[in-house]
Amino acid sequence: MITIDRISKTKSRTQILHEVTFEARPGRVTGFLGPNGAGKTSTLRILLGLDRPQSGTALICGRRYQKLDRPLLTVGALLDGSGAHRARTARAHLRWVAASNGLPDSRADEVLEVVGLTGDARKRAGRFSLGMSRRLGLATALLGDPAVLVLDEPVNGLDPAGIRWMREFLRDSAAQGRTVLLSSHLMGELAETADDVIVIDKGRIVIQGGLADVIGDHRTLEDAFFELTATEAGGPW
Amino acid sequence: MSPVRAELRKLLGLPTAWVGLVLGTLTAPVVLLLNAPYTRRAIAAGTLTDTSDLGLRDLGIGLIGPIVLGVIVVSSEYTSTGQDAPGARQLTATLAAVPDRLRLLVAKATALVLVVAAQAAVTTAATLTLTQVLYGEHAPAPAPARVVAAILYWTLTALLAYAIALISRNGIVPLTLLIINSSVVSVSYLLTKVTDLASYLPDIVGAQMFIGSADFPVEIAPVTAGLVMTAWVIALLVVGAVLFERRDV
Repeated sequence: MITIDRISKTKSRTQILHEVTFEARPGRVTGFLGPNGAGKTSTLRILLGLDRPQSGTALICGRRYQKLDRPLLTVGALLDGSGAHRARTARAHLRWVAASNGLPDSRADEVLEVVGLTGDARKRAGRFSLGMSRRLGLATALLGDPAVLVLDEPVNGLDPAGIRWMREFLRDSAAQGRTVLLSSHLMGELAETADDVIVIDKGRIVIQGGLADVIGDHRTLEDAFFELTATEAGGPW
Repeated sequence: MSPVRAELRKLLGLPTAWVGLVLGTLTAPVVLLLNAPYTRRAIAAGTLTDTSDLGLRDLGIGLIGPIVLGVIVVSSEYTSTGQDAPGARQLTATLAAVPDRLRLLVAKATALVLVVAAQAAVTTAATLTLTQVLYGEHAPAPAPARVVAAILYWTLTALLAYAIALISRNGIVPLTLLIINSSVVSVSYLLTKVTDLASYLPDIVGAQMFIGSADFPVEIAPVTAGLVMTAWVIALLVVGAVLFERRDV
């Protein structure tokens, strides 16, 4: 369960988030949709304790991320890149992350297998392709077998097979009862994956609800999105 | 304990760390060897009469090791992880794993101190043994307290580099500043020609923790020197920690 409650954030004197409020529930894939620069990543970074809001709270299972003792056992996060220093091998990266949360070395090879990187375990992260980096990032997120997944643009850089794999992985995760929150600017992709949709534009939530409710009378999620965000912008696109 | 173990692994898994370990450990003994013919002649000719600092005096050049180690503990977190995502850094993974920032900084400092203290002990032992072999009775073995002080100075220097890197959030500034100052031109030493206050700069005062006679403009007792050096390190660490705690990543 993720609870974001009235988060506001100002960066370089510009307010980038305006009282952002939403929930992501267990057993469901929640899609966080918005154009580039709308505030998706900023919200996720606040949720993960990387950035600080001016006001509001972001809670995971009722607690702030910074207050989680071995956070990887609760939350798996995938942000930009893999998070691995380029001089490290995939396995060495996963092992230190595992060690930091008291997890055994064997978890590294297990998650490498899940994301299909077993053959690249000894390769340095600096030599990974974009798609491989995303997989390594996801492997890192899965180390602690967390009940909550927070993923920023997870299909970015993946090839069609990778996108399909990610979609099924996320659906399976939700089916197993996990809370899955993913951001995306790809509407078609989200329409395929998400149960619930939250649309953010210029730092404000413009609509949230079940996928069908958000689409409403529109033909597709994309139509609904442009209608909603164009209204916010005060004119047609 | 887990975060400390993770930080030890992270540090020792970096190729740059091994450059620091090897350079720092070998430089002082090698310089000692290279200087040996000159020093022997000076002893024979009677121009070098105070031999109590032989060996210890050469340890300063090896400080490049603790400096590199102290800096990369931090700078490796801020290095971009790839061209695909220029803003992506290891620090994201680090804080996702250990979100309590103060706890993370303590774990990093602990790992650094363990590695540098071990390196300093090995280097000091090697340098002093070599001094005995080269000069025999001309070089009296230094008091144990001075040896401990030398190891402590190395460790404090690593923490100083760590603190400056925390403040600057990159490796270039602290490495340039500290390595040039400790090997090429000692700006601190030049400053002591201008004002006696410069004697209390970390690298000048720190050396007096274990080098007795040498040509320091202001003589500071070893314990006082150690306290001043420690005060520098604590002050910079506090500034670095406060900034790290407050900044968005």
